[in-house]
Amino acid sequence: MIGQLTVEQVAEAMREYGPAEQVRKNRIRVNTDPQKIIDAISAAKQRLGCDRLILISCTDDTGSFGLTYHLTGPHRTIISLAIAVPRETPQVLSASEVLPPAAIYERQIHDLFGIVFPGHPGLTKLMLNEGWPDGEYPLRKDWKPEKGKSYDGAAREGA
Amino acid sequence: MVEVMVPIGPQHPALKEPVNFRIYAEGEKIVRLELNLSYNHRGIEKAAEERNFIRVLPLLERVCGICSHSHATAFTKGIEEIMGLEIPARAQYIRTIIAELERMHSHLLWLGVAAHEIGFNTLLMWSWRDREAVLDTLEEMSGNRVHYNMNEIGGVRLDLSEKQVAAAKQRLPVLEERIAQYLDMVSHQETVLLRFRGVGKLSKEEILKYGAVGPTARASGVDNDARRDDPHLVYDEIPWKVVTDTSGDVHGRTKVRIGEVAESLKIVRYCLENLPEGPVRVVSAPKAAPKGEILSRYEAPRGELAHFIRTNGTDKAERLDIRTPTLANWTSVAKALVNQNLADIPVIVAAIDPCLSCTSRMTVIDTGTMTQGSITWDELVRKCRARYGMEAQP
Repeated sequence: MIGQLTVEQVAEAMREYGPAEQVRKNRIRVNTDPQKIIDAISAAKQRLGCDRLILISCTDDTGSFGLTYHLTGPHRTIISLAIAVPRETPQVLSASEVLPPAAIYERQIHDLFGIVFPGHPGLTKLMLNEGWPDGEYPLRKDWKPEKGKSYDGAAREGA
Repeated sequence: MVEVMVPIGPQHPALKEPVNFRIYAEGEKIVRLELNLSYNHRGIEKAAEERNFIRVLPLLERVCGICSHSHATAFTKGIEEIMGLEIPARAQYIRTIIAELERMHSHLLWLGVAAHEIGFNTLLMWSWRDREAVLDTLEEMSGNRVHYNMNEIGGVRLDLSEKQVAAAKQRLPVLEERIAQYLDMVSHQETVLLRFRGVGKLSKEEILKYGAVGPTARASGVDNDARRDDPHLVYDEIPWKVVTDTSGDVHGRTKVRIGEVAESLKIVRYCLENLPEGPVRVVSAPKAAPKGEILSRYEAPRGELAHFIRTNGTDKAERLDIRTPTLANWTSVAKALVNQNLADIPVIVAAIDPCLSCTSRMTVIDTGTMTQGSITWDELVRKCRARYGMEAQP
């Protein structure tokens, strides 16, 4: 087992992408720009040996969406690369090229938050049913189910 | 070339979950695989934003019937870390006991299902009989067989009495003996070896590339276990070891799971014997959590479970993002099937639990003429026999 990374090591390796801060004992967070995220993931992979993506978490921060890529590796340190995606143009390049497991998490986020990932191999529905209305993203904070509207999506025969 | 799509699910007697697989095959080779999970989205993450920390725990237990304690513990320990609460040792030990009993019953359940898929129903009956002993212990301790509801913010809901501890300890020797027997059985029994060895192989590199977790990863020699990598509960205080295997096939996954049951049993015994005295919860845990964000990791029976929690100073989570182990494992399983023989689907898919017996619902798409139609089972059998130069039977 390799020793845990220190915040200085992470800050040094990721300096062109943003400042690193130690959130808790083995959690280090780097805030970066949406344009740099793919390069930042590649850098974390090459320079820090982060070979595993634990998950991409998504939050609705009202004016923007917060995407956090939680990476880890043999050093057992979790590097969280955080970006803010503007609400008006919710687009981030897909990370599935550099990290194949990202694809399934991106599909989930696309379903629930409506963020588009250009370059994704197949950004189809994963979580919501086939007949779920377009443009409805249930985990956005401003989303409320409309009374009387059907969301179950069961298509009637002949309809 | 004719591409054949084989749909399995979502309504299928052999599937345990509402899931749909679409397997595309060209000739005998699987070209790609699609997964559709969209039949039972229950909106738990959204509902969790509306409930306070007391009411959200029973909801989170219902994310999964098998790993109910995993979800509740992952959430509770995350919130407790944000609050900065120090949990009494006795409560942590009780949480660990429940967690490991849960792992035992989950793996014994899987062993039974896997045995059933290869037609070895004797092993199904045996392992499910032994699983009952584990469930009885859980019921005695928590009052429930499935949703134990043991966690609360600041500790556990129920203490263990001396009588309960004694009854649990009493069941362990028989279980230990049986688990050793199963481990021996899967190493020698011919049916198991024939159907599990060399099937659904995933190399260490593939596991790392596609991010598989849990016993699936450990069976390919990837030494990842959140219990050791990100110590929680009392795993860094007690003696135990991570079980791994190098074969990377279904047989390896079986050996890892049975090995883990044996290891869990030792953890349970150690915790029962060394259960510290003291309170089982903190005195008046705060109702609200300060503003914060946390990634709470937990080793559930199927692999690493991650809860990303954001709190905003109220008694409710602003956002709860749950990443279950199966979602992480899916990418690697889908890749493992590519270029495999169509005839191997049942065994490989059975290794991840669901089953395949509705090939009579196949849809054939002729990519040349773009026509589409159905193929019957008899027709399929005829085509298969013709391909292998076998005589068609009436």
